[in-house]
Amino acid sequence: MWQLFLMSRYTVSPHRLLRAVLPLVALVALSACADKPPASNPEALRAYEERNDPLEPWNRSMHQIDQGLNTVIFNPTIAVYQAIIPEPGRKGVTNVFRNFRAPITFVNDILQGEGSRASTTLGRFVINSTVGLLGLFDVAARMGLPYHYEDFGQTFAVWGMGEGPYLYVPILGPSGGRDLTGYAIDNMGIDAMAWIGRADNPFWWQIAYFGALATDTKSNAKPLLDELKASSVDHYAALRSVYRQNRAKEIRNGAPAPVPDFEDYEYEDGDGDPFSGLEINPTEAQTAARTD
Amino acid sequence: MRALALTLLLVISGTQANAADEPWRTDPRAFINHFAEAGIEGILTAEIDDTEKTAQFRTLFNDGFDIPAISRFVIGRTWRRTSDADKEAFIALFEDVIVYTWSRRFSEYKGQTIEVRGTTPDGNTGTLVDSVIVDKAGQTISAQWRLRMRDDGLRIVDVIIEGVSMAITYRQDYASVIRQQGGMSGLLDLLGKQVVESAPS
Repeated sequence: MWQLFLMSRYTVSPHRLLRAVLPLVALVALSACADKPPASNPEALRAYEERNDPLEPWNRSMHQIDQGLNTVIFNPTIAVYQAIIPEPGRKGVTNVFRNFRAPITFVNDILQGEGSRASTTLGRFVINSTVGLLGLFDVAARMGLPYHYEDFGQTFAVWGMGEGPYLYVPILGPSGGRDLTGYAIDNMGIDAMAWIGRADNPFWWQIAYFGALATDTKSNAKPLLDELKASSVDHYAALRSVYRQNRAKEIRNGAPAPVPDFEDYEYEDGDGDPFSGLEINPTEAQTAARTD
Repeated sequence: MRALALTLLLVISGTQANAADEPWRTDPRAFINHFAEAGIEGILTAEIDDTEKTAQFRTLFNDGFDIPAISRFVIGRTWRRTSDADKEAFIALFEDVIVYTWSRRFSEYKGQTIEVRGTTPDGNTGTLVDSVIVDKAGQTISAQWRLRMRDDGLRIVDVIIEGVSMAITYRQDYASVIRQQGGMSGLLDLLGKQVVESAPS
């Protein structure tokens, strides 16, 4: 607690914090690289490249830390939150955050050249901020303007940028080079709270804002994440897979995944290599089937 | 020899009668509708206890899914290096994992329905059925069903919920375990423990 107090006194901005922490993170991460298989073992090398997780040992420790933080901080917080506020109220909280953060989606809609989706986002923002009582009620959805979400990571992907190495960030969860950069731009450059923060430096406001946002997001995601934990053997690997598939879908704006020819479902023992040509990393074709 | 021929004839005519009696077995849209109905009316809303629901679901799962094909897919390249005994052990454990995973969700059912939206060809003998799960508030979750035609009718080989494929997720989960444990035996041990822990008491 006292560290936070000191930080507030000395006006540490998220930018400064990142500048101070990033070199350290990079140093530790470099020392925790996964061993790349030699070219003489093409099968292992191919699997290594499909995983695209060169910092896996480091990421696994971050995942462990995150699980610990969930146990100690977030799960009890979520339990209290869910006990105090019943489901309709929690839906309202989610709606308020979605509305407050609509500018992030709007800017990224435009940067992706999605004029019609940008006007939907703008229309929703105007209607829900007024008739919807500052976003508490999603009136616009009932008027035929459904919610959608965009971020700078998706914009980078639409512009053709690859996902970069997988990164697991405590509190934030699964991410990657591209998506984490996008997240920083969204939250330090576009989100209204970033501008409020710059104007008057109410540090505690930002802590409260991101704390509440994390609680809302984690409360919504908890049932699915708990289920994934229970049904997987290597929770870290299963979560990495689900994250990538889900991101690929978001980047395609919900269009169905391009269907690879899953010959292996026909495969019986001894019929050649059923797995040749099958790319299981969905990011390979993530923009291919995008609806425009 | 005559006995064999007679048996074959009976089996063949039996299969044909089966397909004729149950046209949904060869029509992808009707197939998914049939399974949705069987799942909702026969299990989720049925007046039976949880043990019976799990047993009913296991029957439905065996009837509707091609479990050996899904097993081959989720194990990937390691499958061909796996002994027959380990393959059988895996298929049995994997069935338990799926049955117990889905059984945990029975109590969360709140009147959702499945609406088939369309179908597209998939692979040589397959169809991808596009559907949405609709809740009472009208909110939808996308669900796609990857089907393959077998000798006795269609079988599900993958379910894709909101872009997340069940088969791909298990495949990457298990690939990681096989790599770290150095083979199938480590995976079978862990799955055995998981099944014991997640089995309904």
